[in-house]
Amino acid sequence: MADAITVMVVDDHPIWREGVARDLTERGLDVVATAPDAGAAVRIARAVRPRVVLMDLNLGETSGVQAIEGILEALPETRILVLSASGEHADVLEAVKAGAAGYLVKSASAEELLAAVRRTADGFPVFTPGLAGLVLGEYRRLAGTDHTGPEVPALTARETDVLRLVAKGLTARQIGERLGVSHRTVETHVQSTLRKLQLHNRVQLARYAIEKGIVEE
Amino acid sequence: MTRPGSDVEHPFEPLWRGMLVYRVLTLVSAAAGVLLSLDDYASRAGALAVLAAMVAWTAASGYLYLRRPVGPDRRGRVAAADVVVTFAVMASTPLVQTPEQLAADAAVMGSIWTSGPVLACAIAFGIPGGIVAAAVISAALAGFQAQLEAELPDIQLLALAGLTIGFASTVLRRSAERVRRAVASEAAMAERERLARAVHDGVLQVLGYVRRRGAELGGPAGELGTLAGEQEVALRTMLTSGPAAVDERGRRDLAAALRGLGSSRITVSAPAHPVELPAHTVDELMAVVGAALANVALHVGPDAPAWVLLDDVGPGVEISVRDEGPGIPDGRLAAAEAEGRLGVARSMRGRVHDLGGTITCDTGPGRGTEWIIELAREDPSWRTRSR
Repeated sequence: MADAITVMVVDDHPIWREGVARDLTERGLDVVATAPDAGAAVRIARAVRPRVVLMDLNLGETSGVQAIEGILEALPETRILVLSASGEHADVLEAVKAGAAGYLVKSASAEELLAAVRRTADGFPVFTPGLAGLVLGEYRRLAGTDHTGPEVPALTARETDVLRLVAKGLTARQIGERLGVSHRTVETHVQSTLRKLQLHNRVQLARYAIEKGIVEE
Repeated sequence: MTRPGSDVEHPFEPLWRGMLVYRVLTLVSAAAGVLLSLDDYASRAGALAVLAAMVAWTAASGYLYLRRPVGPDRRGRVAAADVVVTFAVMASTPLVQTPEQLAADAAVMGSIWTSGPVLACAIAFGIPGGIVAAAVISAALAGFQAQLEAELPDIQLLALAGLTIGFASTVLRRSAERVRRAVASEAAMAERERLARAVHDGVLQVLGYVRRRGAELGGPAGELGTLAGEQEVALRTMLTSGPAAVDERGRRDLAAALRGLGSSRITVSAPAHPVELPAHTVDELMAVVGAALANVALHVGPDAPAWVLLDDVGPGVEISVRDEGPGIPDGRLAAAEAEGRLGVARSMRGRVHDLGGTITCDTGPGRGTEWIIELAREDPSWRTRSR
């Protein structure tokens, strides 16, 4: 039990918070904390340093995206898995750009959730077809805007193929077979699409902060 | 100068200010008339005194009309007083003018300035106010000036002014009331929506949890869980897709429309940004995707999973509908089409071709079936779209 994955559950609904915490505990994970809103989530995460944070995006008056930014600022090694029932795809995209490592809908079974938490703890992204569609769409949107430049991230042809196949519901293994590569290579491509988007987001935020005089250049 | 929204709260302000500008201009005109022919009056002091009273009343009534906070009651009372004061000014005519002036049909005391209270009453009380004030001023005009026939055009103008300004004021009052009610109901709707979001979110959470626990417990609880899951999907779909909005340019969001198809069996992947196309195009594409999905249920199985991807490539859109069934055997589509009994492929192809797009079918044993619809955008504005 000493090396059990430490998890923090952030959700404004007590029934979910307690239910998910119990499910994960029963399956051998170490739920070290729970939090009902963004402020508490950031505070508690800094104190208990969980390996994985399960994050709902709709936290009453506060937003999960704020919490993700706050947690990753202090604990960049923490992995954040978004577990959302809201179906708010724009929020999910923002959460992933802010650094979340994956996304799972709340209707997923306890086994799926457990597998997703394990994958997240191991440093792999949890990529549903829906999330692939959002990420692909975001790259398409960036390519269509006028201010193209070296800093605007773009997909390689291979990454585009991989993202499209993930969005069409193929597993990493199926994609590997189709493209003639190993499923590990597929995972690497997927991870790289996320990283570029997150890096772009951080650059944008920093530039915004400098422009607005929030931080010194 | 005016605060935002002040036109809604005080719709009559422009009318009152306009009336006062008119009052001051007519005062200048009337004063000039008196001062230029001051020697003709029977009583110069009397004429000057009446003029002074007119200046004083214009200033006092103007202050009372505009003083904040403005209220319809005070303005109504001032307008009524305005009629009385103006009547008194006109009544001084026989006292300050000579019989020669009266006989020569010189302007009544106050002259054109006396039309002011007709406008004020029309604004304050609508058509009845305008008519009554016009009648009073007309009566004074007829009573204090010798030649009635010469005044008829003036009386007609007064009646016309009372009627039109009164009508404008009545219409303005009604529409202001309507705008006020619309603004109030919009605020109430927004508040209700905000509350509904919180309630719906809670209901979704509970339904989702019942579904999960039910699936784990199995048996009768599993059935309850399945029911809860169906309702969860239905409610979430309704909440996230919202009304099938067609915007003012007749365009609809294809991404939102496709998301509405999502279920426990159908996974929809689409961009977070709206993918707007002409409403008719969206309707047709939805019909094609619906036919493809129905085909999956028919040939692969009612519970067979299917995936829909909307890729907004930029110059065009691509939609993929994929299943992991046994695939369509080589030549079956063509054979069925040749026999004239296959509705599916023909109707799907026909619709897509009518839109100017292409549809291809990628199928084979062991790799399922994937329909790919490609359609170019008609207008090039996609490139300038922003967040």
